[in-house]
Amino acid sequence: MNEGEQTGLATMRDCWITGGTTFDLAPTAWKTIACDASPDEQERRLLAIAAQALDVALRPAAPKTLKRRPPLPRLSPPMLPERLRPLLRAALKQAADARRKTRVVTLVASRGFVLHPMDWMPAASDQNSPDVYAPWIDWQANVDGERHAPQDNLTVENWDEFYPAARCIALADMRRSEPASARLLIEAKASGESAEVRLALIELMRFGLKPEDAPFLKSLSADRSGKVRELADRMLARLGEHGRPSDGGPDDPATELAAFISEGKSGFIRRRSIYTPAKLKSPAQEKRRAELFETCNLVELAARFGATEPEFIGAWQFGADDNADIQIAQMVAASGSDAAVTHMADALVADGGKPALLVLHLTPRLDSRRRRALVRLVLKQANYLSAINLAEGIDAGWLEWGDLSNGQALAALRSAVAGNDDARRRGADDILETIGFLATATTAAKLIDEVVAAGMPPAAPSLGVLRLNAALAEHQSLTDT
Amino acid sequence: MEFDLKTIEALAPDQASLNAASKLTKRSNWPRLEQNEQQALIWGECQGSGSNPYRVVVDTGDHGYKCTCPSRKFPCKHTLALMWIAATVPASFAAAESTPEWVNDWLGRRRKTTPPPAQSIPGPAAKSIDEAARTDESAAVEDIAAVERREAAQRKRAEDTRQAVSAALDELDQWIADQLRLGLSGFVDGSSERCRRIAARLVDMKATALAGRIDEIPSRLMALRSEERPDAAIRELGKLVLLAKAWRSAPDDPELKRLVSTSETREQVLANPDARQVESFWEVLGEKIESRRDGLVSHSTWLLDLKSTTPQFAVLLDYFPASAGRRSNAFAPGDRFDARLVFYPSRKPLRALVAERMGEVISGAWPDFAFGAAKDPLAAHASYQDAAPWITDCPLMLPPGAILVDDRGTGWWQAADDPQGIALPIAGAVNQTLLGLDLAATAALWDGARLDLLAAQSGFGRLDLS
Repeated sequence: MNEGEQTGLATMRDCWITGGTTFDLAPTAWKTIACDASPDEQERRLLAIAAQALDVALRPAAPKTLKRRPPLPRLSPPMLPERLRPLLRAALKQAADARRKTRVVTLVASRGFVLHPMDWMPAASDQNSPDVYAPWIDWQANVDGERHAPQDNLTVENWDEFYPAARCIALADMRRSEPASARLLIEAKASGESAEVRLALIELMRFGLKPEDAPFLKSLSADRSGKVRELADRMLARLGEHGRPSDGGPDDPATELAAFISEGKSGFIRRRSIYTPAKLKSPAQEKRRAELFETCNLVELAARFGATEPEFIGAWQFGADDNADIQIAQMVAASGSDAAVTHMADALVADGGKPALLVLHLTPRLDSRRRRALVRLVLKQANYLSAINLAEGIDAGWLEWGDLSNGQALAALRSAVAGNDDARRRGADDILETIGFLATATTAAKLIDEVVAAGMPPAAPSLGVLRLNAALAEHQSLTDT
Repeated sequence: MEFDLKTIEALAPDQASLNAASKLTKRSNWPRLEQNEQQALIWGECQGSGSNPYRVVVDTGDHGYKCTCPSRKFPCKHTLALMWIAATVPASFAAAESTPEWVNDWLGRRRKTTPPPAQSIPGPAAKSIDEAARTDESAAVEDIAAVERREAAQRKRAEDTRQAVSAALDELDQWIADQLRLGLSGFVDGSSERCRRIAARLVDMKATALAGRIDEIPSRLMALRSEERPDAAIRELGKLVLLAKAWRSAPDDPELKRLVSTSETREQVLANPDARQVESFWEVLGEKIESRRDGLVSHSTWLLDLKSTTPQFAVLLDYFPASAGRRSNAFAPGDRFDARLVFYPSRKPLRALVAERMGEVISGAWPDFAFGAAKDPLAAHASYQDAAPWITDCPLMLPPGAILVDDRGTGWWQAADDPQGIALPIAGAVNQTLLGLDLAATAALWDGARLDLLAAQSGFGRLDLS
């Protein structure tokens, strides 16, 4: 189309938009085609020519502001084999929320594969997906893509060259191997970051937390961000230190919380202290107590009773008030020392029963062995099977068939699957999904057979994670041989 | 397999269903018949009257069933036919160790119920499988006079239709001239009502296909930004003018007849010796399922010829009533199969039927299309338009490129070696992950204003974009 035709087309277009005849405005060559006809027919002919001109002769004008994202980094582990992708997509579809989806991703990563980016991508704010996805998290967060993650160790000098997620992973690794160097790095660079980033950096201090970290944590009591100050206080409490010393007066929160707890004595020969939650008279009191458990530290509360943390935990009367039990478990998880956390977990798991479920609140701070012990206990007891859905931070792919068959779990699952109670069946679906994440491939395959024999359709969506788990092993064995 | 003819007779909703099922029991209607004895399942793909095969699965244990056809009869004739084959020629079913994904989907969704007792209903509603089996054999032998009368009536009906359509196109011409006189700005604003009115007139005058197309103009316009709509209206109306003119010059042309009034039947296309036939490996690029204003749902499955060194496409197109509910897809994107396709005769054959399925094909990359020489990614579109300027959606295989975004968040495809050159805007929202992937080849539909992505090949393998 020449320039004259383009100009003619533009004027004709304007004329048609408002309404009217365009014959006089048409390019000469077009007029020749349209001339020997009625006025209406002339317009139609010109319209047909214009339509084809717009369709064939013109090309869309690309805006100058088109932006290109940097290429999505390739991850080092192999991509999940194509034939397993339908199983993966089914498992992801069945996973109701981001936490459950992350479990599926973690399971796949534990078998040495990464997902296809069109099947799943971590969010920019993702902190729970496996470390291998850090380059994708940074790709998501970094819209302009100007920086590149270096292969070197993180230092003060190359701090800005790291993407945030890659930096966090490098720092977490450093905290495990050289905690002091990592602390010095955080100390040097955190103050220059925003409150949100600062909080994430201080959070990394939980890896390998040692008394040597206390001076730095104490220095954070003057931080601009309240959240950072609270986090530093909780970390100090884990070290048995007080971030902001309290006066112990009646307005002190720990003193106020202590008033909600009754101290008594137990035992005939060796009299020992016991701590029982006081009976509350109103929802307002209940609310206030919950607030105080959230803001106070375990070490301060124990000090009000002249006890150490393990002594206080050991003397707490679990089972007297469910809400208070949950609140103290959350308090221990947030501010208890490592010794207090393990003491509480070991004691409750050893005693069994319903209070053992409180250990679920402590799982983020427990080591792998204790977490597994808790899951085994929940499965063995089988009274509160659905509690395993709440466990956080547990490894994928370790649960053996013996762990499942050594107790009532299998029988409970079979009965739920075979029964007509919809609520129980839905509960069983959730448990199967969680076990799909925890189980070894052999256990997953056996469990599928077991529940199918009990009446579950072989292709039930709730078996999605179990199927993926079992299939992942098949593939691994094929590639290994 | 636990079927006997009495059970099928009892399950059938009426005698007509049994009669119809008996015609589908020929092996040639079923490119795929499989069973899994462990799970007590039989399934198959039946080439029905649609372009896409119907997928049927039956639980031989409790007689549960599922078919992807839009029939409102339960069980439908396809299900009955599958059961019938299972009862009479069980050896037709190949043993399968695992169930396909679509069978798994159904199993996952269904709830087991106690099967109703399969008892024949006596009285006027009674059905007879023997009678159904006889139907085929006892086809009435028409006498010559009756045949002539029928053919004469057909000729008269065709002539009446032609005259009605001709009058309809006169009315359409006048309507288009009116829209130009009144202004396209007003047309764009009131397109919904105006198009509905003329479409209703065209339906009355037997230009049914054209009416359906005009009914879709408003939604096509509204999918664009307001400043683009006048140009789109010029394109849409201009193509109608061209189509009307072409039909007047060749009213018996099968392509034009299909676009203006009615389409040939599947049998007519298969029996047409001039219809192009291609036996090849085909990959399902993607599916487009759109609800139309005329109450139909159009279901198009786009295929790529994997044996051709130049990009060759085919589309399996079906319509079914929206009231039939959501329909399961016949194919999954990425599926590959060996088949002979018969194309509806046209200047640029695209619409096709699966005449014969030979089996599945293993997955892999697309052929290495030689993109080097063609600088213009819309060259194929121009070629389609030269041959058949009334085509609205044209399939393209785009050369290596990437997806970019503008300030408004709209995605654009741009060629890798031509960063300052043509960029094509993409319809709908773009998956953000796609922005970081280099696309070695991209299959898409171009409608003159927007690119509708179907699938692509990238460093991360095949991407399903439909």
